[in-house]
Amino acid sequence: MFYRTLRPFFLLFIGAILAACAATPNPNPAETSSATTDTLVAGDPASFTTAEWESVLDAARGQTVNWYIWGGSETINAFVDTFYGQPLQEQYGITLKRVPLNDTVDAVNQVLSEKEAGQDPGQVDLIWINGENFASLKQADMLYSGWTRALPNSALVDWDNPAVNLDFGEPTADMESPWSSAQFQFIYDSARMDAETLPRSYADLKTWACENPGRFTYIAPGPGAFQGTRFVKGALFELSGGAEQWLNFDQTLWEQWSPPLWTYFNEIKPCLWRAGETYPKDENELHSLFANQEVDFSITQAIAGAGPLIEQGLVPETARAFVFDDYMIGDFNYVAIPKNAPNKAAALVLANLILDPTLQAAQILPQNGFGLGFGIDVTKATDPEAQTALENAAAQLGDSATPAADLASSLVGDSAAPYQALVEEGWRANVLVQP
Amino acid sequence: MRLRERFIPWLLLAPALAVLAVLFGTSIVYGVAQSLGYLTFIGQRTLTFAAYERILIGPSPIATEFWSSLGFSLWVSAASTLLAAAGALGVAVVATGRREAGPTGIFLLHLNLAVPHLVWAIALSLFLAQSGLLARIAAALGWIATPADFPVLVRDRYGVGIILDYVTKEIPFLTLILLAILRSQPRTYNVIAENLGATAWQRLRYVTFPLVRPGLLAGSLLVFAFIFGAYEVPAILGVRFPRTVAALALDFFLNPDLQQRAEGMAISVIMAMVVVVVAVGGYWLNERQTR
Repeated sequence: MFYRTLRPFFLLFIGAILAACAATPNPNPAETSSATTDTLVAGDPASFTTAEWESVLDAARGQTVNWYIWGGSETINAFVDTFYGQPLQEQYGITLKRVPLNDTVDAVNQVLSEKEAGQDPGQVDLIWINGENFASLKQADMLYSGWTRALPNSALVDWDNPAVNLDFGEPTADMESPWSSAQFQFIYDSARMDAETLPRSYADLKTWACENPGRFTYIAPGPGAFQGTRFVKGALFELSGGAEQWLNFDQTLWEQWSPPLWTYFNEIKPCLWRAGETYPKDENELHSLFANQEVDFSITQAIAGAGPLIEQGLVPETARAFVFDDYMIGDFNYVAIPKNAPNKAAALVLANLILDPTLQAAQILPQNGFGLGFGIDVTKATDPEAQTALENAAAQLGDSATPAADLASSLVGDSAAPYQALVEEGWRANVLVQP
Repeated sequence: MRLRERFIPWLLLAPALAVLAVLFGTSIVYGVAQSLGYLTFIGQRTLTFAAYERILIGPSPIATEFWSSLGFSLWVSAASTLLAAAGALGVAVVATGRREAGPTGIFLLHLNLAVPHLVWAIALSLFLAQSGLLARIAAALGWIATPADFPVLVRDRYGVGIILDYVTKEIPFLTLILLAILRSQPRTYNVIAENLGATAWQRLRYVTFPLVRPGLLAGSLLVFAFIFGAYEVPAILGVRFPRTVAALALDFFLNPDLQQRAEGMAISVIMAMVVVVVAVGGYWLNERQTR
């Protein structure tokens, strides 16, 4: 009986919702606004053009830059506030507003929601980004482009290096500027193991794991767990005898080498922790297994090795980083500016400041709190003071870091973008699900 | 006069209903739209059932994974709900029986209601993991050789850890509901039944159970729906395969390939429909038995 009385209300409600949905947002509002901020308009203090750096500095003065970065490390937060916040204020008159994120995908979702709501200008000026999040925003066409080579300090970046101009295999296309670099490494506990007994290749690892069953595991490859994907890719490179062949996508190459890859992981499976029934889903889980002495190895990407993790109390003080002899994937992480950023000039100044040699020298030292590697090419620094600073920093990384020579000799670049999904899905279907 | 009487309850409920309708209604409409492929942020505006096809039927590995996830979720939710309901019934009957529980007893029983599910899951993992507290105590006492020999109770393929977590958290919750019902009933029913020669089991089945059944059913449906859609406890205490449907949906939603959001939303819509089906089925069962 009450359905009849309620029907008109239902119809009204559905009608209102549909009307709200049907209102399409202004198509490409970002296009129109970036056109006006990117060309000099006489008398408008907020306009600038990237061709004239002075105009960018003038426009940026007095602005606030909203920098959305992952906030999960107190030390990194302090580093950013001190090393970038202060110079920005003192030298450029820009206020840095660091917005901590639980996960960079939150910034991606925010920009996408702003696009859907037609909100321009939005809230996000600069994002610490790479890999899959960069690919998402690029796919949604929400990144400001054409600015990275216009930064004065961009001369220090080795743009010809595929590790710089390809992000998880996706071309950066002048949309993101480097901040720092990272390389895949393992961590062992020097109190429990001797450096001589460490495995130095995937083949060695298989022998070691089966001699010590249940003492090794790796992060399950998957979206958001790229360290696992990187570990599996390293095995692919070793099995196929080289990493360069994977820089371009080749389906036949994949079909040739993926069966031996899955065979390797299925053969090593019974010797793994929990007999390969389950795997840690992210770095934190693996660190806690390592710290609890359930497994003997963990992983890290920081150039400062285990140093940042020891400072945070996640691993014991005797933890040390090491690498295999080859096939340790290294890459860069970047900053990018959304198309609907409200303070583009200030974001440009900050992106340029990040590439400053003195600050790059400071960022690699674990005691400053950041601990990732250089974003610039140190050989391109011409200023003698800058060169000294960079050399000194590189010499001070401490015991818990992998020696720089080992890192350099084992460094390889990441593979082409389509392989990421193939490796992740293939691993799930051929290794995880198999009994 | 009668028309106005019928309208008044709805009018009084209108503010709460409006908030629910706007917030949940719009989310549901957006969710359904996105599951049908209406993804405005990548400029896709056509409606299609492709996402549902890929999940339910499609020859891709997604389909096999979806069905195994659905089965796993249903198993975990059903087992947790039934065990929690049975446990709650037992506790409630004992608490209102011959040796009645005093206020401190009730307080202790409900102590873990204040603990969030996430914290409880972490606590269980710290206790029961193979490098956890119980494992180390057992190894120190010599019952097992090394902590790694401790039986696998968390992060296992049958969801034992997840079920354990939910049972221990939901028994107090359901007991709360049952105690409220049982305490409002006159004690005389039980006394009369006992006088007429009913055993404890017969009293439970013919006197107590019919009294609490509506409340127990409502509470159990709540618990089932909650567990079915929960993410954080299976994320901590579960394995990578099989995953619960909630974890699967979130994985698709967070996939950097924005196309996959349609699949994530489709799984969420299917989850909602499963819960509705179970709820309707439960109420139908209740109606049938009381007729």
